[in-house]
Amino acid sequence: MTPRKTALSPGSPAPKPRSNGKPDNALAAELTRLLGPQKVLSNLSERLNYRYDAIQFGATPLAVVLPESTADVVTAVRAARAAGVPVVGRGAASGLSGGAAPALPGLVISFTRMTRLDIFPERREARAQAGVVTLAVTDKARPFGLIYPPDPASFRTSTIGGNLGENAGGPLCFKYGVSGDYVRGLEFVDAEGEVHELGRDAYDLAGLLIGSEGTLGLITEATLRLTPPPRFTRTLMASFAEVGACAEAVSAAIAAGAVPGKLEFMDQACTNAVEDYLHLGLPREAGAVLLVDTDGDDLDTVEEERALVEAACLAAGGTVRRAASDAESAALWQARRSVSPALGRIRPQRMNEDIVVPRSVLPDVVREIRALGDASGFHVVQFGHIGDGNLHPNILFDPRRESPEAVHDLAHRIALVAIRHGGVLSGEHGIGTMKRPFMREAVDPVTLSALWDVKRALDPAGALNPGKVLPEEE
Amino acid sequence: MNNDIPVQDIGPQGEVMAHAVDACVHCGFCLPACPTYAVLGDEMDSPRGRIVLMKEVLEGALPLADAAPHLDRCLGCQACVTACPSGVPYGELITSFRGWSEPQRERSPLARAGRAAILKILPAPRVFSLAARAGQYAKPLAPLLPAALRAPLDLLPEHVPAMQPNPEVTPARGKRRGRVAFLAGCAQQALTPNFNAATLRVLARNGIEVVIPEGQGCCGAAALHTGAREEALRLVRQNLAAFNPDDYDAILSNAAGCGAGLKEYPVVLHGLPDEAQARAFAAKVQDISEFLAGLLREGELEPCLPTARPLTIAYHDACHLAHAQGVRAAPRELLRAIPGVTVLEVPEGDLCCGSAGTYNLEQPELANELGVRKARNILSTTPDLIASGNIGCHTQIQSHVRRQGSRVPVLHTVEVLDLAYRGEL
Repeated sequence: MTPRKTALSPGSPAPKPRSNGKPDNALAAELTRLLGPQKVLSNLSERLNYRYDAIQFGATPLAVVLPESTADVVTAVRAARAAGVPVVGRGAASGLSGGAAPALPGLVISFTRMTRLDIFPERREARAQAGVVTLAVTDKARPFGLIYPPDPASFRTSTIGGNLGENAGGPLCFKYGVSGDYVRGLEFVDAEGEVHELGRDAYDLAGLLIGSEGTLGLITEATLRLTPPPRFTRTLMASFAEVGACAEAVSAAIAAGAVPGKLEFMDQACTNAVEDYLHLGLPREAGAVLLVDTDGDDLDTVEEERALVEAACLAAGGTVRRAASDAESAALWQARRSVSPALGRIRPQRMNEDIVVPRSVLPDVVREIRALGDASGFHVVQFGHIGDGNLHPNILFDPRRESPEAVHDLAHRIALVAIRHGGVLSGEHGIGTMKRPFMREAVDPVTLSALWDVKRALDPAGALNPGKVLPEEE
Repeated sequence: MNNDIPVQDIGPQGEVMAHAVDACVHCGFCLPACPTYAVLGDEMDSPRGRIVLMKEVLEGALPLADAAPHLDRCLGCQACVTACPSGVPYGELITSFRGWSEPQRERSPLARAGRAAILKILPAPRVFSLAARAGQYAKPLAPLLPAALRAPLDLLPEHVPAMQPNPEVTPARGKRRGRVAFLAGCAQQALTPNFNAATLRVLARNGIEVVIPEGQGCCGAAALHTGAREEALRLVRQNLAAFNPDDYDAILSNAAGCGAGLKEYPVVLHGLPDEAQARAFAAKVQDISEFLAGLLREGELEPCLPTARPLTIAYHDACHLAHAQGVRAAPRELLRAIPGVTVLEVPEGDLCCGSAGTYNLEQPELANELGVRKARNILSTTPDLIASGNIGCHTQIQSHVRRQGSRVPVLHTVEVLDLAYRGEL
């Protein structure tokens, strides 16, 4: 049976945690004086828990602030600035590129208590504070006949602020776009501690902040665009003997004119890791599994699109199964959402790629990566939003037995495959620290220097999430 | 997650803990499943955060006293285990950690005495019954008492019934289909003797002979989960001696917490000479609902009489059934097998009710917060009746439902079946 999950926004009126005893350092003491002990965590046991995201551990922060308002964020940023320490913003820390793991000891601002959420059905908009859990937006909008489409795998946990910081995507991004496509406006706090309200007109500064991983400013609130959900959705699963055939089917289906809502794939190792968790009866022997939703308001079109995809899968040698019920569809999509963490069952650690390549080269790229993996001796698995050409090759390893240098070297070669085929380094997870070393090969020096100019203009002291995204200037 | 836990210094329980820490990829999928994270919203009071804290303490990087307040707030509900795609055995980790760390804890003599008293009273039904009756008389004084004493009084039902004796053998009625051993449970013998009476009647009616082996004791879960490992080991071994799995088709419990405890025996004895014996024992353990649903699926369950009128039942998933034992479908199937019954799903059904063994006594504020939320969620379905499969949940839910002004009956799943068999539903 499929485990059910509860989507909760923390923040009930219960007792809030407060640091016991005296703050551990001057910054923590000053913040406690300014904000009170219930908004500042300063004990070691508390600070140790704010140094990681879903991929790596960073430096232990000097203090953690849990703001309840934008004014609290301003106070915290100014205090950190006065103390000369860096500031890292953090949502639920489910990110996959090291974005929320501090590179240096400093201040972590964790937004999980800023959870105010208002729905304006007449404008088809939501106004959400940074700490609102992503799924909560759709939950609250649905009674008005609206949804918020961006659906990262972690959407029961992750927050709007974090999603915008990383410009997170999800299975629906093929047809409906990523987080940034749903932003009408942003409120953010800059490196000086000033508050700004941005629209998408004139210079699209909001667009610049989205996906900047907290290196240009701290997003505190967002106005989000809502849409009515499609009336009909149909799901199919296809299995293939080999990943390249799966990619061929995808290219053929899209070329034939299908615009599915979701187009996702996972290879054999992923399928098996998820099957160990959910026991859904996924085809363990298949080299790759493709999951597809076609959706829309006209059932005939939705069925026609499903038939197009089905024909493409059969022509590529696949076996097709149509989901018989909504429950079966939901179970299949839960399977896809669980891939990333389920890989922990194979090896305790992983290097996680997030490349995007043109759809026309998908079969070549997935086959080249498969071959690199097979030759390397590492477990290399692939899954991702194949409809967008967004692939997540992951190198699974055990740091006690396998060399991190060899892992890094292989990750580099995989990134080069993407770049060689006209691709980019990040589709939705951000660059963080994971892909920062490859930026020089992915971005030309002139463009990189323009990015540095932007960074210096908005954050002259380099205090906002240092060590992320941009490689050091030469 | 990477760790340098000195397994060789800790022993077999160290292996259990290091394995669990290894498996965590700190993805955060556990956060929305965790009741304390739902209430407190900070990382230290989430499963992922607690795993990091335990790792740091085991590695010697963090003093136990700093981590303890956050670890103590864990209910042990294991909702995170259900939610975890990476397969982290969190329950095994926290239980082993509590056993390992308890001897190092600094507690005041008063706190120590309190804990010792709870662990003495809880597993001794007669003493518990006496204490509960005494508590009944003290109930009117509750508002005058400090919180630590008020919490247990608040939980006492309005009437503490008389103890009922446990027959050593209850013969099967009609066609004999099997023979099982039954763990009689502790607190529920004193507070809700009808749970066992109904269980014996329902099993007998279905042709099952029930043996309540005389040498049995408490399952040991309360001791184990509060870190009293030596006491737990003693109880585990006492039960292994009392129940010979070869003699029975199944070893049954009707309390989710106890059933989960019995199924944990192989972890408790991991690396010890009697581990294999614990495995053989645990392989036979089933919750009463699993066993009866097995009969139902084989078409062997005696049909129930229809209800007098259409009846809606809100079924509450006890954490130790749904999360620790993975038993969700069985109790629902049994209730639906009663003609006239509709089973209602409770909003936020996966969230713990806040009872969790001795949690009510040790973390009364959080327990109360969760109890209020659970009762509100259950009552929002406007049920005719509430069913669950665990004494702790039963007491907590009954107490909070009453406090919210509702008189809806709260029954054990097997009590509902018993009433249906007698045509009294």
